[in-house]
Amino acid sequence: MVYWCRERVERMAGLLGGRIAEVANRDSTFRVILVAPLQLLLWFLLIVPTLIVLYLSVVNWQPIMGVDWWQAPLAWVGNYARVVRDVRFWEAMARTLGVVVAAVGLEFLLGLGLALLLRGEFLGKRFFTSVILYPMMLPWVVVGLVFFLLFLDRGPVNYIIGLTFGPDAPFDWYGHPLSALGVIVLADVWQWTPFMFLILYSGLGALPKEPQEAAMTLGASPWQIFRYVMLPMLRPIIYVAVVIRALEAFKIFDLVFIITRGGPGTSTESISLYIYRLSAIYGQLSYAAAMAVLILVMVAVLTRYAVKPMEQQQVPQ
Amino acid sequence: MRGLLPLVRWVAAVAVAAVVLMPVVWAVSISFKPPAEWAAHPPRLVPEEPTLANYQVLFQVGNPVGVVAEMTRTAEPVTRAFITSLIVAPLATAASVAIGFFAAYAVSRYQVGGPMLPFLALTTRMFPPVAFAVPLLVYYRMLGLIDTRLGLALMYTGFTVAFPLWMIKGFIDSVPRHVEEAAILDGASRWRVLFTITLPLVKGGVAAALLFVFILNWTEFLFALIFTSRHAITLPVQVSYYAGAVGRFYGPQAALGIVASLPVVIAGYVIQRHLVRGFTFGLVK
Amino acid sequence: MATIALRRLVKRFGSTVAVDDVSLDIPHGKLVCLLGPSGCGKTTTLRMIAGLEQPTSGEILFDGAPVSNVPPQRRGIGMVFQNYALFTHMTTYDNLAFGLRIRGEPRETVDGEVRRMAEVLELTAVLDHPAARLDLSTMQRVALGRTLITRPRVLLLDEPLNNIRPGLREMLRAELRRLQLDLNQTAVYVTHDQEEALSLADQVIIMARGKVEQIGSPDGVYRRPRNRFVAAFVGSPTMNFLPCEVTSRDGEPHLAGPGFVIPAGRRPDLGPRGRLIVLGIRPEGVRLGEGPVSAVVMLIQPAGADQIIELAVGDHRLRALIRPSLRLTIGQQVALDFPSDELHLFDAATGEALDG
Repeated sequence: MVYWCRERVERMAGLLGGRIAEVANRDSTFRVILVAPLQLLLWFLLIVPTLIVLYLSVVNWQPIMGVDWWQAPLAWVGNYARVVRDVRFWEAMARTLGVVVAAVGLEFLLGLGLALLLRGEFLGKRFFTSVILYPMMLPWVVVGLVFFLLFLDRGPVNYIIGLTFGPDAPFDWYGHPLSALGVIVLADVWQWTPFMFLILYSGLGALPKEPQEAAMTLGASPWQIFRYVMLPMLRPIIYVAVVIRALEAFKIFDLVFIITRGGPGTSTESISLYIYRLSAIYGQLSYAAAMAVLILVMVAVLTRYAVKPMEQQQVPQ
Repeated sequence: MRGLLPLVRWVAAVAVAAVVLMPVVWAVSISFKPPAEWAAHPPRLVPEEPTLANYQVLFQVGNPVGVVAEMTRTAEPVTRAFITSLIVAPLATAASVAIGFFAAYAVSRYQVGGPMLPFLALTTRMFPPVAFAVPLLVYYRMLGLIDTRLGLALMYTGFTVAFPLWMIKGFIDSVPRHVEEAAILDGASRWRVLFTITLPLVKGGVAAALLFVFILNWTEFLFALIFTSRHAITLPVQVSYYAGAVGRFYGPQAALGIVASLPVVIAGYVIQRHLVRGFTFGLVK
Repeated sequence: MATIALRRLVKRFGSTVAVDDVSLDIPHGKLVCLLGPSGCGKTTTLRMIAGLEQPTSGEILFDGAPVSNVPPQRRGIGMVFQNYALFTHMTTYDNLAFGLRIRGEPRETVDGEVRRMAEVLELTAVLDHPAARLDLSTMQRVALGRTLITRPRVLLLDEPLNNIRPGLREMLRAELRRLQLDLNQTAVYVTHDQEEALSLADQVIIMARGKVEQIGSPDGVYRRPRNRFVAAFVGSPTMNFLPCEVTSRDGEPHLAGPGFVIPAGRRPDLGPRGRLIVLGIRPEGVRLGEGPVSAVVMLIQPAGADQIIELAVGDHRLRALIRPSLRLTIGQQVALDFPSDELHLFDAATGEALDG
């Protein structure tokens, strides 16, 4: 009896297992199972939060109000109107864009210069490539900490400045908004120039040689070859690298948080840091949500424009 | 001129390598210095009296020398944050790459989810993460996921999955379909084909994605800062506590920076050949 | 005037010798073909003339003056590359205008020249098209026009017709030749296609393994190949080779091959009896019908105006090109004759031709 039962249960389990395997193997099911985790994840972390942030931005809700967030009173565009009139927001925005332009610009120029200079073989190239890679691996907060230590009052940078320009030259780097932002930009440049270098370097290497040689035989100088042949052919790669880097730099938070905490005052606050403070510290979630929505729209629009020339270059043959 | 170029090139390479190495060398140097040398003038690269005290203090209960007592967050040993990072980063990395791999296969072979799905995944990387943090704060509080390792790992999985998806998709696109079709004609199930035929053929991409996503997860700061407070803080958050503490204690700060960086640097050197591709998001072949 | 001279030119890449002691003269207004199999050093030679490669040793003279220290930009050369190397990010117009704009010519001059060149090469209709979207033969003409517009002293062409389909290739070849003759342009043309070289060149330079094997007129290299390599490389179908021994019969020099003895004709340099030589005869030189050589028909391949017959002579195979009217069957026994004025004789050991 017991034996019979077991056999039967096993048979059923086998059938069931076989049935599951069969269903899972069916083409349509197979495809669905493959993407289901990704779609769940995107719903959970991207789509629902986006809906919530839209909702939060048109109501007035703070955790300390004592009501649940779905019972909060409507504010319509009140939060947005506040953002538009918020000087601290616009200053943070301008500052962040300034940092993006300065950092990405420097990274592009340095990366391109290095890529041009280091074409071809030289002694220790392998060592060099592995050295230049590692800043990208370090945690941003650690990079921030390292640069913070470098630019201390009695740190090595000030010491070298003192040696070169006399004892009065050393500078209170964190006491002034511009110099403090400068340290932040430098840290970003230090960490991410290698990225530009790598992409531009391999992009240059992948350019066909013949058009350059053809330009040479047509009488073009090295500069003209670079300007009229190599640079235009490299343009799609430059676009990709600059857009990726600009989007990343616009997020800047860690470096500011570690190096200056936005100070002195709020004079080095980035947009991410401001929204972080509004939401996680001040608890003004609805206001932060309106700001977040504005940022989402702005980035989406800017990226759309940035990507357009790229698409035009890739018209079908 | 032609003879001079290699020399110029070499000098430039050495200069760049020096600029890249110096800041970290300086931090390493400070981490081995006793308090008296932290801000000594003139600064010295090699500590006069090298000490391990800065590292020891990280793992002890109580504030490091020079820290004002009320900064209780620096009084906790970093062991807990270290363990959290060691759990969350690998867990989220494995999940992200696995989900990315499956989805990459489905998108590459069947265009499941439509042509926009990969781009939708990419939007998680396009916008400042703080914009998503605002609604997630509300949401996570409701679900009780705040200050949990699971909640953090879930977030990390979602916000990195775009990379394995795109990187591995590029590899799968280049695997000819007929290789898989031959195996299916031989009677292998689709799952078997996926794991025994396709996966080994794209393992370079999987390795690059693993490394890259691990580094992202290990170094992530903003989400960890917002969504954890006591139980699930990670190493970067601990670094920020140290960096933000009142008082001078550069030695332990530097030491913690080194400790927080070591795992990624080691991981990077172990799979060095996948590094370039990983860091350039697969743009560089 | 534009003449080029190469003096003992050598190019090494690491341990491999790409060009090995090449000397030659290219007279003004002539089209010279560098012909050889791939890897024979012909393209490297061309690139050294252009200045894109530096010779390891030896000298290149333009109009008698050494140009080793002259960069490609100032050599007055124009080069057409194998894959055209068009500036794919520009239009046809901008490609044609590139060389003149680089020289800082005024806008009207550039425009006039570009339109004239477009007229000559029938490119007017595609002037505004992006170069990346032209078809291959148009690309070829743009590449040629872009080069000619700068009025180079020397035109260098690196397998320019390689990617063009047969038929069109012959047309473009003729057009190229007409243009070169009209302009009285010195030109060096690299190709691996012997038929192209023979039909195009004033002078053919045959290269193998970095060395010059023979220099001569198309007719000369075809009729009087200097060695076995040239004999085998030039002409299609390939020349037949049979091992022979010098003998004499009735006091006259004869050649004893596998199963036959034929008169060697008047050849003072034949050497002593018993000397081993290689007899070469082109498929079109083999006479079928009667003669001292007996052979078996192995294979019959119709080839349009002719048919190619594969024959077995002893253990050796040879091919004959004959009229299609001759009906043969596989396995049939036939008699062959090798007329003595169709014979090419080579030393068996060195492969050098015996000068008749």
